[in-house]
Amino acid sequence: MTVGLNAFLIVAGLLFAVGLLGVTLRQNTLVIYMSLELMLNAVNLAFVAFSRYNGTMDGNLFVFFIITVAAAEVALGLAIIVALFRRRQSVMVDQLNALSH
Amino acid sequence: MTDAQILLAALLTPLLSAVLIACFLRCRGTLASYVSVAAAAAICAFSYLAIQACEAGPVRAAVDWLQFGNFTVSMGFLFDGEAATMLAMVAFVGLLIHIFSLGYMSEDKSKGRFFAGLSIFMFSMVGIILADNLIMIFVFWELVGFSSYMLIGHYLDTDEAAAASKKAFIVNRIGDLGFLVGIVYAYWHFGTTNLEAMGAAVNADPSLISWVIAALLMCGFIGKSAQFPLHVWLPDAMAGPTPVSALIHAATMVAAGVYFLIRITFLFPESVLGGIAILGTSVAVYAGFCAYGQNDIKKILAYSTLSQLGYMSAAFGLGYPGVALFHLITHAFFKALLFLGAGSIIHGCHHEQDIFKMGGMLKKMPITSITFFIGVLALCGFGIAGVGFAGYYSKDAILIGSLVKENTLIFALLLGGAFLTAGYMGRLFWIAFLGQPKSEAAENAHESPLTMLIPLVALAVLSVAGGVLDLWPQGLGENIKAGMKHLHHADTDHAAAHTVHLWAMVAWIVGLVGSFFFYGVGKNGDALQNRAKPVYEFLKARLWFDEIYGFYVAKIQQRVAVLLSFLDIFLIKGLFVRGSAGLVGLVGACSRSLVVGNIHGYVYWFLAGILLLWALAAGVAL
Amino acid sequence: MLDILFYVFSAITLIAAVLMVLTPNAVNGAMCMIVAFIGTAALFVLLEAYFLAVIQVVVYAGAVMVLFLFIIMLLDVDKGEGATEYKDKLTIGAAAIGFLLLAMLVCSAFSGSHLPEPVLTAVTENPEVFNGGVPFTTSSKSFGYSLFTKYMLPFQVAGFLLLAAMIGVIVVSKKHDVAED
Repeated sequence: MTVGLNAFLIVAGLLFAVGLLGVTLRQNTLVIYMSLELMLNAVNLAFVAFSRYNGTMDGNLFVFFIITVAAAEVALGLAIIVALFRRRQSVMVDQLNALSH
Repeated sequence: MTDAQILLAALLTPLLSAVLIACFLRCRGTLASYVSVAAAAAICAFSYLAIQACEAGPVRAAVDWLQFGNFTVSMGFLFDGEAATMLAMVAFVGLLIHIFSLGYMSEDKSKGRFFAGLSIFMFSMVGIILADNLIMIFVFWELVGFSSYMLIGHYLDTDEAAAASKKAFIVNRIGDLGFLVGIVYAYWHFGTTNLEAMGAAVNADPSLISWVIAALLMCGFIGKSAQFPLHVWLPDAMAGPTPVSALIHAATMVAAGVYFLIRITFLFPESVLGGIAILGTSVAVYAGFCAYGQNDIKKILAYSTLSQLGYMSAAFGLGYPGVALFHLITHAFFKALLFLGAGSIIHGCHHEQDIFKMGGMLKKMPITSITFFIGVLALCGFGIAGVGFAGYYSKDAILIGSLVKENTLIFALLLGGAFLTAGYMGRLFWIAFLGQPKSEAAENAHESPLTMLIPLVALAVLSVAGGVLDLWPQGLGENIKAGMKHLHHADTDHAAAHTVHLWAMVAWIVGLVGSFFFYGVGKNGDALQNRAKPVYEFLKARLWFDEIYGFYVAKIQQRVAVLLSFLDIFLIKGLFVRGSAGLVGLVGACSRSLVVGNIHGYVYWFLAGILLLWALAAGVAL
Repeated sequence: MLDILFYVFSAITLIAAVLMVLTPNAVNGAMCMIVAFIGTAALFVLLEAYFLAVIQVVVYAGAVMVLFLFIIMLLDVDKGEGATEYKDKLTIGAAAIGFLLLAMLVCSAFSGSHLPEPVLTAVTENPEVFNGGVPFTTSSKSFGYSLFTKYMLPFQVAGFLLLAAMIGVIVVSKKHDVAED
């Protein structure tokens, strides 16, 4: 394969930017959350790319842990969103502004 | 009891009495008066014991009170010869005046407050006498000023008394400003404010004497002892009760300034001494003239006090501190006598103070009149050929001193002052005591009770015999005796002494007799006023000092005060206080704007924070 | 051959990601997300991290996204509500420009010749230790080996983390009765 490390990093960076766009642009809490997962995913890709091109295993192991933590975090975050929906009857961010003055 | 403990007891007894009265006995005036008199008697007893102890040598004791770094303020006693003399006089005259007040203030409604004030005053005065360093003197100086303020303003419901008490305090404070600067400068110059240490330093190295320190410390003296230009408070202070005038403004407080000067004699160079002499002489003559324009018996005596204070400072300025102390003591005796006699008269005439409304007091109140006359004679320097009443010795010593120093101008002026003194005292006596009673009150006058007569008699005896130094008890007046001896040695062939005795005799004879004929006996109106009204009016105006000061305060100082107040409100309150509060509020509002309820807002803040951290990590200088 | 695969799968991933962000329907977005994850798994395979690719599919695409779908359908966001979801035009324009800038930044940062190009070394069965790190192999045996020796502590902590998350989820999603004691 002649594709260099930089190409993989460009892909990862673009994925990250898309995820950022989703976080800032969307109003639906669940879509925002999915965009956050997309950002994590982009980071995973970058880690694996570095790991392969440097010839070490540490990057892969770190991705392993990232996936673990992300799974736990998703479970808990979604539970919180469900609880929030029960209170507020809405998941739209512009309606979740009780802390604003 | 050790010596220091005796002195401490003498110092603290009146304080204890004052606290007792202030806390518990304010309404029980009679009990308060007895407590105060008991305290005064205790001071007398303790000072007697202390003087016995002092014969071996000066008593010193000190305790460190405050410590700032390597600067300590200590409170201590320096009880040497001059302190002993002064303490004896203050204790004894104070006790007599306390006894007099028992009778004088018997019908007063706020007796408790009065006697508390007297006790605080005795405490402060004893403190000044015993103090061994400048700072302690200053502390008690201010305390004395406060007691004076409290006592002058005793008659709370009269505007005159309130204004007079304020005036006394404020004018004293002006002098104390110079005093304080002088203390600071003295500390900087000598490294200590202890009197003995400074004396030792100056003895070792005479070049340490600085006229600046002397002039600054003199400011306190000018304020307290009513010299030019801060003399304006003393006549107004007569608004207080007569015992107060006797104790504070005749015998003791105003003399505290002279006593202070005597304590720091070693600090004075020739130039400043000359200035003091000139100052003293001028006020002696000025006050003598002013007394002719006054009809109130207490005001006349106040101007007489001013004049005699001028004599004391002239004596000091001529270089004879011992003689100044001598005149201070004798003046205390006969001036207290005069004031107490005046008080007795005022009390008898039911608080009538105008001499032209009195008259015939000799028949109605004989003992008072006789003792008063003894006081008048003592003040005028009554004496013939080397023997006389108290004032004769001390006053003539001052005149001899001026001649010995070949200062004929001062001699002439002081002699003129003696003429004037005899004149106005004669005017007072002939009009108030002889002739017929001129008003209802004078008609019904009767002799005062015994509590008021005993002090008068005691003081009369002292005025007669107090000048004869040989009669003084052992241990007292060593300074004075030394000073007089020094004077007599300087006056080698006694030519000066003879001249002075002759001229002084002429002065009091001419003064008394002249006023007898000029003013007449028991006349209705002032003869000078009737015959030469412009002269009388000029004398009454007292060189317009009060008017000048009033103009300055009202027009000039008030404008500055308004400007400062505006600056205060605008700058300090507006800009600094409100401004800093506004700044804090602004920061708070800005911080609050961070807390939007909007999730996207928080995301943007996150991004901003990340960018900031990135910039920091990249080494972008902040 | 592998290069072409790389470009194809990158394109799939990116397009799926963009679609997920832009589609108004949340369920559609979840589907697109699954596609993006599978594309990422393919890229992992291209990078010879086979174990991770499988983990990615199983955990991420299989468990996490399914959970997302559950919740999306549970909460049943109204289509009509979703339609009015977008912000005003100014915000959209600003976000788009911001995204373009970021993309350009990324591209310019990583495509220049100023960055070093590490050579893709071949993977051997028992490579020597390189730079203090665990040497790269494609087998999951090395994963297990590293997890239980060098990365023992993070492994145990991750276990605790999962336990805590489980308990947390149970606690947070409990229904509270009205008359609570």
